[in-house]
Amino acid sequence: MTAPAVSPQPSAIRLSNVSRWYGNIVAVNDVSFTLAPGVTGLLGPNGAGKTTILHMMAGLLRPSAGTVLIDDAPAAGNPLVYRKVGLIPERESVHDYLSGWEFVRACARLHALPDADAAAHRAIDQVDMAAPQHRRISTYSKGMKQRIKVAGALVHDPAVLLLDEPFNGMDPRQRLHMLDVLRQLGQQGRVIVISSHILEELNDLATNILVMVSGRLAASGHFREIRRLMTDRPHTFHIKSSDDRRLAAALLADQSVFSVELGGDGIVIRTGERGTLTRNIARAARDTKIRLTEIRPTDESLESVFAYLVAK
Amino acid sequence: MNGPYMTVAWLTWRQLFARRRAWLAAATVVLPFILTFFYRLATEDREGDRLIFMLGMNREIVIGVLLPLTAVIFGTTAFGGEVDDGTMIYLLVRPLPRWGVALTKYLVAVLVTAAIITAAIMLAWLALRNDELPGAVPRSFITASVVGSLVYCALFSYVGLVTRKGLVLGLLYIIFFENILARGVPGVKWLSVREFGVSVAQWAGGGVVKFTDASVPMTTVWVAGSIILVGALAMTIRTMMRYELVERL
Repeated sequence: MTAPAVSPQPSAIRLSNVSRWYGNIVAVNDVSFTLAPGVTGLLGPNGAGKTTILHMMAGLLRPSAGTVLIDDAPAAGNPLVYRKVGLIPERESVHDYLSGWEFVRACARLHALPDADAAAHRAIDQVDMAAPQHRRISTYSKGMKQRIKVAGALVHDPAVLLLDEPFNGMDPRQRLHMLDVLRQLGQQGRVIVISSHILEELNDLATNILVMVSGRLAASGHFREIRRLMTDRPHTFHIKSSDDRRLAAALLADQSVFSVELGGDGIVIRTGERGTLTRNIARAARDTKIRLTEIRPTDESLESVFAYLVAK
Repeated sequence: MNGPYMTVAWLTWRQLFARRRAWLAAATVVLPFILTFFYRLATEDREGDRLIFMLGMNREIVIGVLLPLTAVIFGTTAFGGEVDDGTMIYLLVRPLPRWGVALTKYLVAVLVTAAIITAAIMLAWLALRNDELPGAVPRSFITASVVGSLVYCALFSYVGLVTRKGLVLGLLYIIFFENILARGVPGVKWLSVREFGVSVAQWAGGGVVKFTDASVPMTTVWVAGSIILVGALAMTIRTMMRYELVERL
């Protein structure tokens, strides 16, 4: 991997009371935060407003209210800001009639870099795309397209790098490589913002996490703190067995159980210690000679996890 | 034009000729030549016939059909192709003023359209030329095609930027406005780019190219043409300046 010759000047992004609405739909609602150099994860379910926030940071959307500043300059309507900002969009496709090399070199030339070819080579090497660089982008896999987009965004060595769901479509090896690249870029003093709807994707990468839910900033903090909040939350299980009433009575004695609800279609149990409960259910069934037919977590959807964080 | 704008132009050029549009351009170039070839096969070579055929074909086929069709395909694609493919973002996140990007893309569309029509006119003329067909004939129609390209591409670039149905709307405009209304309703001629082209060809023809029914005065051509061109370009630049990448919620 080739490191850029010069590390960029430290930058900062500041959002102050930023809102954005489309007609009567509020996509982002009164969000404020400041980002310093390092890797920040923008976490939230689909439709939470992550892409809108990234696009406002990239100056591609004007906030309906509030201000978005990059190094104290407004992001929107300010082309010069792109000298220090690189954006990797999620959905937007690449010019698939170009080769990877042509695309990255065009990006370098659009920035009027003094040695566009050298910059393009460096960026392509950084994302490990040297071998297929002369193939048409239309022949690339989704992961390769993603990496060539990253190369196009890195080519001018930006101090701020905004990535929208960058790991989508990447295989595990590509993902590890990309994590490595982003970690190195973060250590070089860049402001890196990565949007994702999977917390574990940001493991060992983003120290700072911002959680967006329904257009609002629901939580922010260190990765470990957010992870602890997510895993220690109450969990709900739906259980069916050969004798629901006796099993409910046995589980009620378990210290890890908050509540037991006996219904016509099985038992609903709430617990704060997911691992302990799953072991104790099996033990209680064995001791009481009850046959378990179903154990199903009922609130594992991402939305329910984020809804819990909002409530916190 | 400096480096970054040359790259915008190069990307636009590649966009214009992607997806088999190069074949459309080639077909446009050879169609008048094929018609000329059949004309030579099918008719006796009487004095004056060649000039009449060449004037009629250039007026009705080249200026009347091929020029607006080429302009609508390449004019709408210059911007609409980027919007449809989702590649516009890679031009917007560069340290370039958006008006510069818009003008560059427009100029590439004009150059490509004018070059294709020029090649079509020249090829047919080369196949038929003799003393009856001096160089003033292709020159006059090339001048008309350049003027027509400037105005048509301004219109179609704007349409391509603001709607994903730019090509369809452009085709409807060509069929209903340019070829039905402008031919049938006298007052509408004064706003028809096709009729501007006919008047420009006659004006640039130096007495060789004459149409008895070229009714739009050159003053009107320059004034109305400039208003349409500048107005459409201003709208295109304004739309580009305000262009936002809206998330699909």
